[in-house]
Amino acid sequence: MSRNEDKGLFPSLWDSLSSLRLTIALLIILSVASIFGTVIPQNASPEEYLQVYKITTYKILRILGFLDMYHAGWFILLLALLCLNLIACSLKRFRTTLRFFTPELRLDDGQWKTYSPGQKFTQNGLPAQMLPGIRETLSRSFSPPRVVEASPAFHLFAEKGMFSRLGVYFIHLSVLVILGGSLIGSFYGFRGNVNIIEGQEADQVILRNGEHIHLPGFNVSLEKFSVSFYPTGAPKEFKSILTIREGGRKVLTESILVNHPLTYKGISFYQSSYGIAGVERVILNIKDRESGKEVSLSAMMGNLTEIPGALSAFSLSHFLPDFQGMGPAFQVIFSEPNQPQQKFLILQNHPEFEEKRPGRYRFMIKEIEPRYYSGLQVTKDPGVWVVWAGCFIMIAGFYMTFLMSHRRVWIRLTEKGAETFIEIAGSSHRDRTGFEKEFQKIGQALNDSPMGLKEVKESEGHS
Amino acid sequence: MNIIFFMAALIIYLLGTAASLAYLVSLRRLFAKLGKFTLTAGFAVHSAALVVRYLEAGYTPITNLHESLSFFAWSIVGVYLVINVKYQVEVLAAFVSPVAAVLIILASLFPKEILPLAPVLESYWLPIHVTLAFFGNAMFTLAFAAGVMYLIQERQIKSKKIGAFYHRLPALKILDDLNYRCLTFGFPLLTLGIISGSVWAESAWGAYWSWDPKETWSLITWFLYAALLHGRLTVGWRGRRAAIFAIVGFAVLVFTFLGVNLLLTGLHAYN
Repeated sequence: MSRNEDKGLFPSLWDSLSSLRLTIALLIILSVASIFGTVIPQNASPEEYLQVYKITTYKILRILGFLDMYHAGWFILLLALLCLNLIACSLKRFRTTLRFFTPELRLDDGQWKTYSPGQKFTQNGLPAQMLPGIRETLSRSFSPPRVVEASPAFHLFAEKGMFSRLGVYFIHLSVLVILGGSLIGSFYGFRGNVNIIEGQEADQVILRNGEHIHLPGFNVSLEKFSVSFYPTGAPKEFKSILTIREGGRKVLTESILVNHPLTYKGISFYQSSYGIAGVERVILNIKDRESGKEVSLSAMMGNLTEIPGALSAFSLSHFLPDFQGMGPAFQVIFSEPNQPQQKFLILQNHPEFEEKRPGRYRFMIKEIEPRYYSGLQVTKDPGVWVVWAGCFIMIAGFYMTFLMSHRRVWIRLTEKGAETFIEIAGSSHRDRTGFEKEFQKIGQALNDSPMGLKEVKESEGHS
Repeated sequence: MNIIFFMAALIIYLLGTAASLAYLVSLRRLFAKLGKFTLTAGFAVHSAALVVRYLEAGYTPITNLHESLSFFAWSIVGVYLVINVKYQVEVLAAFVSPVAAVLIILASLFPKEILPLAPVLESYWLPIHVTLAFFGNAMFTLAFAAGVMYLIQERQIKSKKIGAFYHRLPALKILDDLNYRCLTFGFPLLTLGIISGSVWAESAWGAYWSWDPKETWSLITWFLYAALLHGRLTVGWRGRRAAIFAIVGFAVLVFTFLGVNLLLTGLHAYN
């Protein structure tokens, strides 16, 4: 597996690939490169770019992939290199971590000097008599020890938090899992949009590149869209009531809001925009100039509406959202018996024009009930759960790395005449001050235990 | 009502900053105690301001520049007070409190009225995401302060003449250690901030990652601090280099927070 033992084949390549300097270099290059994509607009249309850049600049940026930078070959390559580097570094490092799986159960004299903190006690009695009590105390105050008998001496070893040494591998693995999840998404997922008018249905979505994709065996219809506003005029809530039909059969109806999407068969629908597709109904006031009477009636767009008590009728044939900057307008087709059909425009915001128009009836628009369309973002991303799993592993890895520590305690019992000489040493790979406190407590527990240990003065101990 | 508490917190912070700086210059214990007391009091009043604003607005008040600058200042003072319990580096206040003071003064310059909440922000992820991100930012601010102190202290030592500040700053080893500790808290918090943001983005925007400028800049910050951590943990970057890196990282972080909102457009541009 590891190349560095395989001296013939690319040893120097392996060395550079597993070097931490490469990691740091790649991280810094990626940071600097990422800035460009936040300054240069991404995935805009050629027209939008040409408003900002000269044509040659635009072409150069396009060739270098700066217009869709985060998906450009060279950016992906940098990420891939980071992954390789991360794998290589982890493999290289893992061999040194492996030795903690087979701990040294006893320290030699040299090691006794190097491990700090340390404590020493003496006790009347033989090591074999001391052993059960010490073992019990250590189990209670720290962790159950393993014992090596080297008669007449005994060595005890106990450890806690060995897993924290693996934290770094969890973090590294999580980066690979997250990137793997995003790859799954980019190969097997899609992101598109669809606008559905109230009362209509859609069975396909339009992707960013203009491609159409069919929803797999179902369609979605918009029952109703509603938008509510705060008194300030800012939007408060957008809501679409969607129905999913499969083979003409209603499967479910659910309302979606911003932050509350609907997911069906792995495809999610998000509320992303809305607009006015046309007019549903108009409430009009119609005044008869001859009698002075005024009636209020509602007219469905395009339908023939009769004026009550008269033989005349009209229909609203066209809606102009903004007629020559004067606001909403409708074309009215008006017919009376024995008269040629008349066509004229009425404006919601300018009723005074209506006053000047000859004719028996005066039309005034009171309210326009719009027909909305709802803009839905439709996405499928089978990789998203892999990404969440990666995030979970990453959090676990951080917990292990920064909040846990591998703490080890050794105890040696040696016979010294009629007494037993008890030495304790400890080590922690991080949070040494925290461990020193814990170590003090272990010493205290041994001191307090009924064996009545006597502490040897610190001057006799090692540094 | 929340504005009154906010302005009170601002004034108390300014007093606390003045006292902390006075301690740095005079080294009189009285000023250290005064600084600590004032900053603690300011933090309490500021906390009250946030709670009152929460009650008045009906949502976690971290939705525009006034609110988030104020929240950033609050996080910095809070994190400083906690760290100080453990490290007892009182002179740190002279380097941290000015940052908090600048932030809260900036906060006071932006429109302070409570606006209705945009639909996209109506989510329980808002407090989670923003709190994690800002606590991480606060940790990095402390790492920055430790870095600045390190560079000043190192300069004193190298110049061979013991300057005025020498006795006022802690030993290089303590500053380096503090820098590292803040990173080991800041980096996981930044990561949690990004992850919680992704989870929220997945339900709000339909994508856990869309290379929005704020997302990208937070990733840039993440890359840089990851480089610093690797440098420290394995290649043996210590002292000067780590201090400079922590300062650069902080500059990028400030851009991620403020520059992106003020200069670039994107999905995070709410106000």
